[in-house]
Formats: sequence, structure tokens, C-alpha cells
Amino acid sequence: MLGFALLNFLFVFGAIYLLATLKAEQPEIGKMLSVMLPDLAGTGKTFLNFMLAQGTVTMILLAFAGSVLAGNDHLRGGLTFYLSRRISVLHYAGGKLLAIGLLVSLTTTLPALVLFLEQGMLGDTAKYFSENYTIAFGILGYGGLIAVTLGLLLFALVSWMPRPVPLVMSWACLFFFLPVLSEILSRVFDDRQWRLLNLWRDIYAVGSRCFGEAAVRSRDVAQLSEASAVIVAVCLLSFIAIVFRIRQLRHQS
Amino acid sequence: MASLFEIKSLTHRYGSVLALDDLSLSVEPGAIGLVGQNGAGKSTLIKILLGLVRHTAGKARVFGADVVKNGVGLRGRIGYMPEREGVVPGLNGIEFVALAGELNGMPRKQALRQAHEILSQLGLEEARYRRLENYSAGMVQRIKLAATLVHDPDLLLLDEPTSGLDPDGRTAMLSLLKSLARRPGKSLVLSTHLLGDIERVCHHAIILEKGAVAASGTLDELLAGQPHAFLLRWKTGADAADHDFLAALQREGAEATPGDELAQARAVVSEQWPTQRFFQLARECGVTLTGLEPEEMDLRTVYRRLVGMESAAPPVIGLANRDESGVAAS
Repeated sequence: MLGFALLNFLFVFGAIYLLATLKAEQPEIGKMLSVMLPDLAGTGKTFLNFMLAQGTVTMILLAFAGSVLAGNDHLRGGLTFYLSRRISVLHYAGGKLLAIGLLVSLTTTLPALVLFLEQGMLGDTAKYFSENYTIAFGILGYGGLIAVTLGLLLFALVSWMPRPVPLVMSWACLFFFLPVLSEILSRVFDDRQWRLLNLWRDIYAVGSRCFGEAAVRSRDVAQLSEASAVIVAVCLLSFIAIVFRIRQLRHQS
Repeated sequence: MASLFEIKSLTHRYGSVLALDDLSLSVEPGAIGLVGQNGAGKSTLIKILLGLVRHTAGKARVFGADVVKNGVGLRGRIGYMPEREGVVPGLNGIEFVALAGELNGMPRKQALRQAHEILSQLGLEEARYRRLENYSAGMVQRIKLAATLVHDPDLLLLDEPTSGLDPDGRTAMLSLLKSLARRPGKSLVLSTHLLGDIERVCHHAIILEKGAVAASGTLDELLAGQPHAFLLRWKTGADAADHDFLAALQREGAEATPGDELAQARAVVSEQWPTQRFFQLARECGVTLTGLEPEEMDLRTVYRRLVGMESAAPPVIGLANRDESGVAAS
């Protein structure tokens, strides 16, 4: 999975470089390619779509890596090992969330920032950065949203389902079957609200807002506040689930 | 001497289950044994002392500091060996022990150096680069002890440290604990349901029963002042004579219970009871006393008396000798 993420990054990295070189040496071909490939134009959309692809790979990766990242602590008494040292529950939970967040950031935010820098360095640097500095905030915002939401959700699920198979199944339900179901329900009842069940889409919609109003898909504009509410609710529920589980495990250990 | 830990009216509930019931204790530093049946509240008390579990009511202080307010700081002075596995898979022995040291605030290099030293002392030097998943049960217990000792704590809280060990492993672990208990300025609380472990390692015992303290004191104090028990054997020709003899013993104030076999009984008498009175009563009832064996007084006997297991237990004595094999309190 990490290989896929790396491959995607290298492909986009190379494409941006090629396009910039062509623009400098063969302006006609460069211009034509820019029209043909709007996603590589260096706008907010370029990085938003790149992060969506990277995020999807990361989301699948987390389903398998979740039990290694935190699941073992709940299976083999690792939680007691940590909590009986000179650290508090907050240190422990914060550390685990940071570990998940770091993994997510290394595969989404960091490569996107590298591409943003590359894009700026290959053309008129000062002009590009002065006109597009908000993209950096967009990358950080969307990356942070993915890291926090997936981190909390994964940690909550792992706390209750530390074994890999149930974890992968629940993750698949949340990010594969639920989106399919939401699509079916929205068509059957002709109600777009059902699409809010697709958490990945909600994260994308709210994340796209971090890149500015122009980056938000027209079909998402009307549901931005509802999508934000869904994300907040998921994070809150995950947080409560984590607190309950840790408290329960402390008594059991 | 300043107390090691002090608890006042400590109560803890798990939902509707009362785990600790108005416990009050003050214990001086040393090797302390915490004994009780499963569910007596031993592990809960240890977790409260460690600040892992917040008690429902009352006060608990370790080294004079409140466990709720100073939990994190206190854990730096305490080493806790949990009963359950408590290891981090994916690490090798040295990484695991060094991580324990780092989590207790030691610089990485120092933690690593200390981890090597401790593992050598515990006989795990050859296994130190092996992953924890490949450790045997005995090795897991030793690596957990190493992780407990790495930061040189002033107090060790050991929850069933001999659990899952074979007899040789158990003996080795107990010898190790005994040597740890002798270190100056260091204390140890050994929680177990194996009374033999307490007798071999500790000088002070706390007996817990249903979340309350049944007894607390040095082993000598607990053994002193207990009524004496004897196993009596006699020769008789008639059932009536046996019955008369038992009735005579009861009448004279001895607590007599018939044994598993015929013409056998266990009699619990006061310290002042003259031994020759047994012979007199036997003669009066027409039986010939052939055996009078004083019951060896040990922690097991005291425990059984204190937690009211006398009636439920088989009346035949001689359990003390079985202790080395790890016979449980329960």
C-alpha cells in the first residue's frame, strides 16, 4: 500500500516536472497539455485530488496497520505496560493518535507539500507562491482533517476490535459498503441527505473547502455544514468510545 | 518510621460489585505479602496504590503522597509487574526493557545500559535480542520483572509473579524476589494466592477477604496467639466410645471435628490446654489414644481460620508440607 502511495507521488512529481519543462522549452505543447490535464495545473484542485488519491490508499493501509499500531495494546496487556509508567492516559492516547496522524501525514500532507514546493520552484517562484499561498493552508487543513478523523475513528475501532479481521471488516463497512448503501438510498428516496452516510465523501467535501470556495464541488456546496456535523459527530463518538474502553481496560488489567 | 503506604476508609466499587470495603491500613517499608482468594481485592488495591484505578471513596497515600493527585510522579518510584501478560509485541527483550526505562523518564542511553545490566542479572542475556513473542512463560515473567526493575524503583508491586511458572521457575523467581526484598531502602508488595510465596519472601502479610482486611501484621504476629490444633488418633471397639470421646472434648472446651477416617479427629484448643487432658478424657471414655500430633502452625492455618474456611475444609491437617508445590490459599 505504501508502494502505491509512493508510486502515485512519483508519478505526479514527474508529471509536474515534465509539464513545467515543456512549458519552458516547448510553450505550445506545454499549453496544450495544461488544457488537457487541468489536474496538474498547480491549482488547489491539483493538490486536493492528489491528497484524495493518497488518502484513499492510506485509508486502506490503516485498515491493515491498525492492529499493529494500537490493537496489540488491547490484546496482550500493553496498555497496562504503558499506563503503569510515569505517563498519564492523555500521554498514551495522545501518543497513539500522533502515531496514526504521523502515518497519515507522511502519506498525504507531506507529499502534497513537496509537490506544492516543486510546482512553485519550477516556474516563476515568487509569483506562484504569492498568488497561491492559500493552497499550503488547504493542504494542511485537508491533511489535518483526514489525520484527526481517521486517527480517532481507527483508535476507537481498534480499542474495541483489536484483532485484524474484525477491524478490516468494520473498516470496509464504513468506507466501502456504507458509501454504496448511501448512494442506493439517495437514489431510491431521491434524497441527497443519504449521501452524508459516506464519511469519506464528507471529509473530501469539508477538506475541499480548506482550498477555497472554488475548490468545492457544486454538488457538495449545499451539504457542507451537514458534512461538517457528521465529521464532528464521528470524532466525538470515537473519542467517547476510546475513553470508555481505556477506563474499562484499566479496571480489567 | 514513615509508612510505605497508608489507606483510610478505602472503598472501591466496580458498578454494583464492592471490590474494597472501607479498608484502613498503615504499612511500614519492607517485604509485604498481600494474600487472599480470587476476587478478594488484591489486584484492585495494587492498582489503586499505583494510581491506575481511581477509588470510589477514602484516601490512599504512598510514600506520604496522595495517589490520585501524584499518580504520575509516584509511578516513577514504583515498579509494577502485572498479573496478565503486559508486554509489547514486536519488540525484542532489550528494546522492551529499555522502553520501560524511557517511559519512566530515563534518558535513552541510560535506559539501554540499565536494560542490558538487568537482563544479565535475570539470566536473559542470551534472549535479549529475541522477540517477545518467542519467549516462554517463564521468560515472559522474568522480562516483565526486568521492565519493573529497570528504573530502580523504591517500591515493587508484584501481582502474582509466579503465575504460570513451573516448579523450578517458581523457586528461582522466589529466590530472586527474596534477594530483591533484602535491598536496603527498597520495599516490595507481593500479591498472591500462594501462601508459600508469602512465607518465603515477606515479613509482613495482609490477608484480604471479600474486600476487607481479615488480618495484617508481621508473620510472627499473625502466627502468635492462635489456638493450638492437634490431630488425634485412637483405638476403640465401639462407635459409642468414639462419640463419647468427641462429646467429652467438646464439653471441655476443645473444638473437635471428626476426621476422614474412623477413630480420628482434629481438636482445636486454647494455649492453656494441658496435653495430658487428652489422655485423661480418652481413658474416661474407654478409648486408647494412639496418636497426638500437633498441627504445624503456618500462614495457611492462620489464613484458613481467619477467612472462616475451617468448616468447609477437610478436617485432616498436615497441609503445611504441601505448600512447596504451590497449593493455593483458595
